[in-house]
Amino acid sequence: MAGRESGRIKDSIQKRILDDDSRKRRQKKALDALEQDNFHEDPHADLVMSKKVPKFQEDNKNSTRKRKTRSAEYFKLRFRKNFIQLVEEDLNYNSSSPNYTTAQVPQSCYPERHFCTVCGFPSTYTCIPCGARYCSVKCLGTHLDTRCLKWTA
Amino acid sequence: MRMSSSVFVLDNGGWTAKVGLSTDSPITVPNSIMKAKSERRRPFIGNQIEECRDVSGLYFMLPLQKGYLINWDVQKTVWDYIFSKECCPINLSHTSLIITEPPFNFPSVQEAMAEIFFEEYEISSLLRINPSTLSCYNYRHKNPTSKCCIIVDIGYSFSHIIPFVNDMKIKAGIRRIDVGGKLLTNHLKEILSYRQLHVMDETYVVNQVKEDSCFVSQNFYNDMETAKLKIEDNTIVKDYVLPDFTTIRRGYLTDAGTTLDQQVLRMNNERFSIPEILFHPSDVGIRQMGIPEAIMDCLKACEEETWPHLLSNIVLIGGSSKFPGLQNRVLNEVRSLAPIDYTIKVHLPEDPITYSWEGGKLLSKDPGYSNLIVKREEYEEEGHALCYDKFDI
Ligand SMILES: [Zn+2]
Ligand SMILES: [Zn+2]
Repeated sequence: MAGRESGRIKDSIQKRILDDDSRKRRQKKALDALEQDNFHEDPHADLVMSKKVPKFQEDNKNSTRKRKTRSAEYFKLRFRKNFIQLVEEDLNYNSSSPNYTTAQVPQSCYPERHFCTVCGFPSTYTCIPCGARYCSVKCLGTHLDTRCLKWTA
Repeated sequence: MRMSSSVFVLDNGGWTAKVGLSTDSPITVPNSIMKAKSERRRPFIGNQIEECRDVSGLYFMLPLQKGYLINWDVQKTVWDYIFSKECCPINLSHTSLIITEPPFNFPSVQEAMAEIFFEEYEISSLLRINPSTLSCYNYRHKNPTSKCCIIVDIGYSFSHIIPFVNDMKIKAGIRRIDVGGKLLTNHLKEILSYRQLHVMDETYVVNQVKEDSCFVSQNFYNDMETAKLKIEDNTIVKDYVLPDFTTIRRGYLTDAGTTLDQQVLRMNNERFSIPEILFHPSDVGIRQMGIPEAIMDCLKACEEETWPHLLSNIVLIGGSSKFPGLQNRVLNEVRSLAPIDYTIKVHLPEDPITYSWEGGKLLSKDPGYSNLIVKREEYEEEGHALCYDKFDI
């Protein structure tokens, strides 16, 4: 990339304008948030600690040969692959036929549409520092006061 | 006495499981464990949530992630509940089980499923099948002359377009859009929290706000203009009265500005910009085709001679297909994309949520049913290999 002398100029621009990487991180964070099951902590988190742990250890000791019912925790330990591991495993063993990864629809042929990040109506303007869309001076004001560069991903 | 005459159908969805014996009607069970702030003595499993008075701030533990079974401890707990006296008391060892799984389910998930049902629940036989295949069976049963169909399953975790030709799933034509009910609810939570009221912790309530308020626009930019009008002239804007869990258990939509002492959410362009994401995932930055475009893309993997048959038998299933206007919008957009001489028909079942379950019920009565299943003795002898052969997906 650029030499040393342009580095200083870049630094000063970076103070006012969010760089591409930060914008991408913001976007990824927003997409990940759309997949989340909860945004708050388990309201019983403190209870789980006191009740479930001893029970789980008991179950483990008792699970010898002749068991009738296994605890839910047993299955958690027995089958503990996460989603990313499963997708990778599938790609390794099943790459020649249609699979989870190949089934994803391609990108749309239509141009992207843009909406004001404040009010949700169609927008024509882009915030220079962060790239967010806005529709009016009023919404730009709200955006600058609440989001824009207020937080960084 | 016929020992193994009873068949139990378990359509294991990401948000709800649809369950019941093939001699009964289906019961819809939340497929999750829920924890309430107001009740710290116990969590609620499945329909136990109906006993919870105050569901604000409900915390969810879900067995499925991105539509695939990942959290086995949670799933086992919910299944135990489903097979218990509280829900569906059945004698599993004399029961044949039909269980659904998503397209391209992962082999280790399939093995775990077989292990749990045969070794833990000791069921007499198993059929593992896609919900779309059950829906295709249901559709074909009612429309015997239709040789092909496209099942569009708009679920909680994702949406799938699945073509069937002569009852055979065309795997190469299956398309997945990573938008479903969960993403729509989460996006609605996000914009409401930014614009009006912090509801990020209110998945349960905002999901109901979505179900009660949202619709699919037939003319998106026109509706945007309408939503900009003052309240008197704006035919879209409404207020959603939030539940307070004393007098109001479930919220409801009412004319904007008419409520005095209850807490409301103002629903304006939110009402139609949320379901719009199913048609334009790029509205929230997901660079994927929307449903109508994906239907056309799916056709490319099918023989051209099947296209007119597929396009005249598009079937919508799944909870998110229930948005008012969705059926008509899919019809109009596919109409505009498809060759002009083809007939386009989009079928929305009376209950798109239980349509697959009903298909399972019908399939259990098919004379060929016994050839589809794996019996416990067979599993004990031949193991997973037999399951792979029989349940070929
Ligand atoms: Zn705006
Ligand atoms: Zn900005």
